[in-house]
Amino acid sequence: MASNFANVLLIFSIFFSFLSNLFFFKKKTKLSILFFNVASVVIIISFFVLIYYFCTSNFSISAVYENSHSLKPFIYKLAGTWGNHEGSLLLFILIISLYGLLFNIFYKKKDQFKAWVIFFQNNIFLIFLIFLITTSNPFDMIIPTPKEGLGLNPILQDPLLAIHPPFLYLGYVGFSLTLSLVLAGLLQKELNDQWAMICWPWVMLSWVFLTIGISLGSLWAYYELGWGGYWFWDPVENASLMPWLTSTALIHSLLVLKIKNKMKNWTALLAILTFSFSLLGTFLVRSGILNSVHAFANDPDRGVFILLIISFITAISLIIYILNSHEEGNFKNFFFSKENFLNINNFFLLFFLCVVLIGTIYPIILSIFDETISIGPVYYNSILAPFVFIFLITMSVGPLLKWSNSFKFQNSLTYTLIFLASLIIGFVVIFISKNYDLIFYLGLCSSSLLILIIIFEIFSARKKFTFYILPRLFSHLGVGIFFLSIFLNSYNSTTKNFEIKISEVKKFENLSFKFVKQEIEKIDNYLEMKTKFEIFTDNEVFNLRPTVRRYFQPNQITSETSIKPTLFSNHYLVVNFPDLNSKVLGARYYYNFFIHGIWFGLFLIIFGGVLSVFKKRV
Amino acid sequence: MNNNTKKRLYILLVSVISVLIIGKFVYETLEKNIVYFFSPSELYDITELPNGTIRIGGMVKKGSMKKKGNDFSFVVTDFKREILVNYTGIKPNLFEEGQGAVVEGILNSRTNLKATQILAKHDENYMPKEVADALKKSGDWKKKYGK
Repeated sequence: MASNFANVLLIFSIFFSFLSNLFFFKKKTKLSILFFNVASVVIIISFFVLIYYFCTSNFSISAVYENSHSLKPFIYKLAGTWGNHEGSLLLFILIISLYGLLFNIFYKKKDQFKAWVIFFQNNIFLIFLIFLITTSNPFDMIIPTPKEGLGLNPILQDPLLAIHPPFLYLGYVGFSLTLSLVLAGLLQKELNDQWAMICWPWVMLSWVFLTIGISLGSLWAYYELGWGGYWFWDPVENASLMPWLTSTALIHSLLVLKIKNKMKNWTALLAILTFSFSLLGTFLVRSGILNSVHAFANDPDRGVFILLIISFITAISLIIYILNSHEEGNFKNFFFSKENFLNINNFFLLFFLCVVLIGTIYPIILSIFDETISIGPVYYNSILAPFVFIFLITMSVGPLLKWSNSFKFQNSLTYTLIFLASLIIGFVVIFISKNYDLIFYLGLCSSSLLILIIIFEIFSARKKFTFYILPRLFSHLGVGIFFLSIFLNSYNSTTKNFEIKISEVKKFENLSFKFVKQEIEKIDNYLEMKTKFEIFTDNEVFNLRPTVRRYFQPNQITSETSIKPTLFSNHYLVVNFPDLNSKVLGARYYYNFFIHGIWFGLFLIIFGGVLSVFKKRV
Repeated sequence: MNNNTKKRLYILLVSVISVLIIGKFVYETLEKNIVYFFSPSELYDITELPNGTIRIGGMVKKGSMKKKGNDFSFVVTDFKREILVNYTGIKPNLFEEGQGAVVEGILNSRTNLKATQILAKHDENYMPKEVADALKKSGDWKKKYGK
């Protein structure tokens, strides 16, 4: 029995992990670390065994039977390994151990600090491994072996989504190492600038992965769900945004700690919060409380178990935090200093966090009292918008200030000119687009202010070029472009809904659609109805080819969008079947203005993050 | 009171006031944007009809779907009470009679909803969680959807 082998691996891993704890308490640091490494390697092997089962469609394993199908293309068989609750949990554990292993390799000193870090990492690992074996063992068998699997939800069968969960997990779970570092630092009374230097690359690495994971999810939602947008304030999206907000705050307070040796306790608290929110995200998504494509586990026991784990880990961390809080020392504070603006940045990010948290869990709390509600996207947009302006302005000003210094502003004439220029840009854009809206105007001004200031900084840094300012310049420029594009997109995009028969022409003011062709083709595990549309705009003619797929196993229908990118916009068309027997197609067309800017902004943010992983200095 | 204490009190006061103002703003926006969910029976029993956008859910009654150009109508039922839904726009994929559905819109009357959005999933076995709960409550939960 092949799966017995895998189960033995899991048991061995738990055993080694226990041994690691035992040796830690016997003060045999070397052995403790060694056994953690062994346990990790065993888990990595067991994950490869699971991948092998999925790739060979071994339906005697229930996780494979429930989530795979022999007709599925190879890449989705592979991705099916983490496309379900059990497999994704094994991946989760694998990544905990992977970060521990990497830390072992890159942290050369053999001191008590390292022993503590590995001890905490080992225990987080152990908790989740016990959870895996007791409630969701991926190697459970079915007897007798079924002939065919149940298949993977078709909208999850997408190359981007195949790599989205591993990236997201590398982010979420990476913060387990941050937590271990913080707890070890607290116990050793070593939460200082040195410690911040050790912590920095690990926090940045996890943050980069988390940002990539969220971006991939958003990109997938954009072209796969066919709703024309890139973010829907869906609880599942919010669940990933919350640790992102706290970790972004963490990066900025870590910066203060690294350079000024201040904000020790605050940084520790943010690190604890970040991992707790990562776990909460996993809980919300996997527990089946939320109704979404992500919710696999409908077993309430698992939900309760995850909730217990979250409470346990958070409680222990907070107790260690309270018992070992550090002396902050006495510092003079100036309002116009770099660290104070980083402080303000933290407040804003935590405010955004509160808004998202309330919107996400309020419906869940009410559902306990038997009341079903949902919260519309207007809630988030109308609360966040006015604060985003101030946030962007502090982001433009903050980096220009000096560390612990009172107000000394150089080049004030240039900055005044830049400020005026951004006001003018705002005016010009609202006149061209004919959207006379205050929020739109303020959004344009604040984001172009940030972009212009950074462009100016790049020009003035040319003379004395240093690598260490690059990460911030890239990321902040990305943020500016990101918000500029969001404002341009949300105020200048349009939608059209219509029904159309073959060879019919639909005319709108400056746009017309011709339904040219329709054909049906059989591909691997689905039937595809391909269509061809000719679209005439004022100055161009092009084709769009949206399709509708009928999957056999499971029996589902999905619409595939067709997107024509132009210099400033996307033409986005999706069709569906109102009725199977009628010849009429329903079509939704979206004109998405400046959407590339959003992806480009995200790319810059991530690129800056990647550079900063390797940043040695401040 | 020395200068430092005064300054601290001042900062504390300002932060408490700003937290209160922002809190009120957040709370009001939240209240405005909550979309409540009702089953047809709940709407029948309720004393005061909700004003803003709501969601209703149930099964699309067999033989109730009517279509005229882009406008169509259907009846949502929980096998006890019914609501007539009017909708202008494109039906989602395979949105057919005898399926579970969640509809968002504004009430014209106790038994008539002007829909702005049909929230359907593309799975033949899919049953929205709200609908499942609503049907369970009305006591007409069929074994075939049971899980």
